Amino acid sequence: MNEGGGGPKLEMAFHTIVCIKSVITRAPMGRTVRTMDSSELNPYDKPALETALRLREEYGGTVTALSMGPETCAFALHEAMAMGVDRSVLVCDISFAGADTLATSNTLAAAISKAAPFDLVLFGVRSADSDTGQVGPQTAVLLGLPLVTGARSVLRQGDVLQVERVADGFVENFAMSLPGALTIHPAAIRPRDVALGGIERAFGQQTVEEWRMQDLGLSSNSVGEAGSPTKVLSLSTAKKERKCEFLPGSPKQQAEALMRRLRELGWTG
Amino acid sequence: MDTLLSEKNRAVRRSVRAFCERELLPIAKDLDQETRFPWEVVEKMGKLGYFGIEAPKELGGAGMDPLSYVVVIEEISRICAGLGLCTSVHNGVVVHPLLTFGSEEQKQRWVPALARGEKIGAFCLTEPNAGSDAASIEATAARDGDHYVINANKVFVTNGGVADICLVFSRTDPKAGSRGISVIIVERGTPGFVVGNLEDLSGMRANPVSSIRLYDCRVPSGNLLGGEGMGLRIGLAGLDTGRMGIAAQALGIAQAALEESVRYAKQRRQFKVPIANHQAIQMTIADMATQVEAARLMVYRAALLRKAGKPFTQASAMAKLYASEICSKVTDMAIQIHGGYGYSKSYPVERLHRDARVTRLYEGTSEIQRIVIARGVLGE
Repeated sequence: MNEGGGGPKLEMAFHTIVCIKSVITRAPMGRTVRTMDSSELNPYDKPALETALRLREEYGGTVTALSMGPETCAFALHEAMAMGVDRSVLVCDISFAGADTLATSNTLAAAISKAAPFDLVLFGVRSADSDTGQVGPQTAVLLGLPLVTGARSVLRQGDVLQVERVADGFVENFAMSLPGALTIHPAAIRPRDVALGGIERAFGQQTVEEWRMQDLGLSSNSVGEAGSPTKVLSLSTAKKERKCEFLPGSPKQQAEALMRRLRELGWTG
Repeated sequence: MDTLLSEKNRAVRRSVRAFCERELLPIAKDLDQETRFPWEVVEKMGKLGYFGIEAPKELGGAGMDPLSYVVVIEEISRICAGLGLCTSVHNGVVVHPLLTFGSEEQKQRWVPALARGEKIGAFCLTEPNAGSDAASIEATAARDGDHYVINANKVFVTNGGVADICLVFSRTDPKAGSRGISVIIVERGTPGFVVGNLEDLSGMRANPVSSIRLYDCRVPSGNLLGGEGMGLRIGLAGLDTGRMGIAAQALGIAQAALEESVRYAKQRRQFKVPIANHQAIQMTIADMATQVEAARLMVYRAALLRKAGKPFTQASAMAKLYASEICSKVTDMAIQIHGGYGYSKSYPVERLHRDARVTRLYEGTSEIQRIVIARGVLGE
């Protein structure tokens, strides 16, 4: 985030929508039962929320958090409200179950359209559980929005966003017209800690709105398992093979052998 | 484990745990060894509302319920018992009595800075000759026009080395016995306010426990909390809430000892298998887990009673007695599971065992808790 800001405070209400996900953290006995205690707000989404809140602090406007998932995922929206978002919406319907990334993007795109008008849609770069990185870009494409992925800093200048990203050792600067979409790099900004007062407000004065499939004008064949061209056939814990090897010789010889091995593996130049 | 907690309480646990594991866990051992009060973390805790958990929003607090209060103390103590003690005393026996017995003017004057953690509170009751027998305190507060002149020697003052606002128990009427004791708010920096050396304690070493002495300390009569002679009533009311905090603190220490033991038992191999495979270790861990859960239910029950506005003196004393007693046992069992390593500072259970011991002493010894409980049971 560029905190230098610059430019006059803008009066116009700037609406940012942040798409967030509750991710599974524990799957005892290989079963994924989604409860508040077995899942958490996707850590990659927190920098996106923080970016939205900083933009609001700098330029005014409102922030909406949006999530698709069963009712037990509402806690992730409560956490977003505790961080400070103004409004939260859970897109929740039994028809959405079993969605792959395309069906999820279809659903989110419909929900974002319903929450219009908006100026900016933010996503984390990926989720900590399924790790595809597809939902943000797919949703932007479905909505016809310009997109920059892995944004490191965001500066608003009128109706244009200046966005910086780092790729392959180069710093890229983009000017992006609004409305637009960004995925926010996890190192872009450190998310704020949740204060007790924020939690009290989130559970006391704020509520999570729930939108169903019919609210979004979607058909059951475009969402959930029916709308998913990919299916998860099985899920099991990946086994990591590890072996310990002692390199012989003097420290210098050991260091040289280690560097040679790393080069051979392509892990260093 | 969280069946008695609302989603809000669980959100509190989640956020406080994340904060403490990030900010306190890496330094907890050093704080103990260096007897250091971590101002840099305390400042952040203040901004997050940990010093004004139940204080209303209008006065700078988080406006939360008693269950959230015990969950916050439990979670801080799970990582650093010395800071758990700091927040328990600050919230339970300083901010809470100010909110309950303070005038509107007093609340406006002192609570906001306390609730934001900008000022730290202390509860000055214990003296060299007055511990469990609180009514025998010797500190005096003589009225002189619109001031009190206080002379006091207070010992074992939690937060003493850093406290800005102290609730000082002293005699305003030397002839009235226990009814002649009053509470006067004294600010650090008042002429005659002297902070003694820090105590070199066995545990809770992150907390700057010290003596505080007042020499002809003149404070405005408007600093009297409640009314003259209300000292013991304020003290007892404060201690009901304070004991709940210490019970939560003991629970947090015991929980940490259990977690450390489970982790160690799965890693440590003897007789070619992890020691968790040995039935003797399993029996010990089962006993530890059962006692920790029982303590948790008692602590949460006391908080639920207070939340419901029901009498909770008994429940609070029982929770404090049980949680502190099992805390000592559980940390002792944790050392037994760790074997010789548990007696070394290389492993956290050594510190947890030292931290545990004092929970049976302060905010009323276990024997005083039993007296409170017996009075209730026998209907005196």
